Amino acid sequence: MATLSVCQPPFGGFSFEYCKRNAVLAAEVAKVGCSIPAARKTGTTICGVVFKDGIVLGADTRATEGMIVADKNCSKIHYISPNIYCCGAGTAADTEMTTQIISSNLELHSLSTGRLPLVATANRMLKQMLFRYQGHIGAALVLGGVDCNGPHLYSIYPHGSTDKLPYVTMGSGSLAAMAVFEDRYEQDMEEEDAKRLVRDAIAAGIFNDLGSGSNIDLCVITKNKVDYLRPHDMANLKGIRTGNYKYKRGTTGVLLKTVTKLDLEVVEETVQTMDTS
Amino acid sequence: MAERGYSFSLTTFSPSGKLVQIEYALSAVAAGAPSVGIKASNGVVLATEKKQKSILYDETSVHKVEPITKHIGMVYSGMGPDYRVLLKKARKLAQQYFLVYQEPIPTAQLVQRISSVMQEYTQSGGVRPFGVSLLIAGWDDACPFLFQSDPSGAYFAWKATAMGKNYMSGKTFLEKRYNMDLEVDDAIHTAILTLKESFEGQMTEDNIEVGICTETGFRRLTTAEVKDYLAAIV
Repeated sequence: MATLSVCQPPFGGFSFEYCKRNAVLAAEVAKVGCSIPAARKTGTTICGVVFKDGIVLGADTRATEGMIVADKNCSKIHYISPNIYCCGAGTAADTEMTTQIISSNLELHSLSTGRLPLVATANRMLKQMLFRYQGHIGAALVLGGVDCNGPHLYSIYPHGSTDKLPYVTMGSGSLAAMAVFEDRYEQDMEEEDAKRLVRDAIAAGIFNDLGSGSNIDLCVITKNKVDYLRPHDMANLKGIRTGNYKYKRGTTGVLLKTVTKLDLEVVEETVQTMDTS
Repeated sequence: MAERGYSFSLTTFSPSGKLVQIEYALSAVAAGAPSVGIKASNGVVLATEKKQKSILYDETSVHKVEPITKHIGMVYSGMGPDYRVLLKKARKLAQQYFLVYQEPIPTAQLVQRISSVMQEYTQSGGVRPFGVSLLIAGWDDACPFLFQSDPSGAYFAWKATAMGKNYMSGKTFLEKRYNMDLEVDDAIHTAILTLKESFEGQMTEDNIEVGICTETGFRRLTTAEVKDYLAAIV
């Protein structure tokens, strides 16, 4: 009979169980000459939700370059086709170009078939391209749209795996946004409730993650229309200075004024003519 | 005629300075179904005859008037399969332009590129010229455009033109009927009348195709809409 070991269940606070193991591993790996893979922060909060009549996509608007905010109002919700939009987290150039290339190819496909494209088609094209590049294209996407089969929402990871879910979040602020979703998501929400939920999820990311910030952009896609709300909520307006810190002339009293002329002697004079013919 | 000996090779000039194969390609176009293009003050109209050889054909499955982008469309006279190839190339060129310049391709740019493709096929080995003339209609920056692209690679901008069978009588008819202040609705009416000039048999909404290009973009008219315009003529 195997003896049952008594396991101490962890009580409260962060578990530091693996810290010693990680330290040992790091040392071992360093001996061989490599380093442990570093987690890549993607500095964004993007999310999407399926509601009764369609999809709501949301994104923050901060673009970061290391620790510096490069763009305070960049657009992270990209156009794929009239009925499909895609949020992008990760390397800005990668998300921009990937979505544009797939948008172009999807338009060619749509002209050839004579139909509005399916979200599943866009999903396929994106994942096949990302897999081909084996994760070197740093694009983490939230793809959403409404086609003849109804509303669809996918999350696409840089290595090419995809998930089809009723609510998804991506980016460094994804945990904060997912916490809001897990708490308040319901099936078949109304449009206003869904917009409020997405707005709150992105706001959670903006205020609790350093990589996300500025405004909240929303995109509401339904069968008959698309509302591209940019900005939907300007949560981080620059404050107006309350005081004037300019001093009037004469605030500082002048006690003494001396003028010293600089005696400069012309040593050499050369003229270079411009050819203005 | 000395021409005869030079008519089989595309890449050899004849003594009179012509490339006879291209002349023959133009004859192939002139033997094709008639098509008409009219530039109105607020748009462009393209129309073509789509007569099928048998009533068993499913005419909804293939179209002659096709969009290239949201704001440019085209129609042809001549060989259908050659048209398909050029249509695919045109669509791809338009997308490539957008990816580089981040703006919808201007009509003139697209026409130049397509004509270059057609010209390539008159100066390469082992190929023959395209047996189609294209009518390309587009709208950029509040201006309508109508261009024709020939198998030789030459392109022309038109106010109104006709191609295919009986194109001379079509052009004469348009010369009389065209004026600069036409609106799109009048232009559609005129285009249908021009086609009717050389039409054998009864013209119905199933054996002609009409496309219009306006501020809102390019679209092919539905059979119901064509039926309404035809009813207005009779």
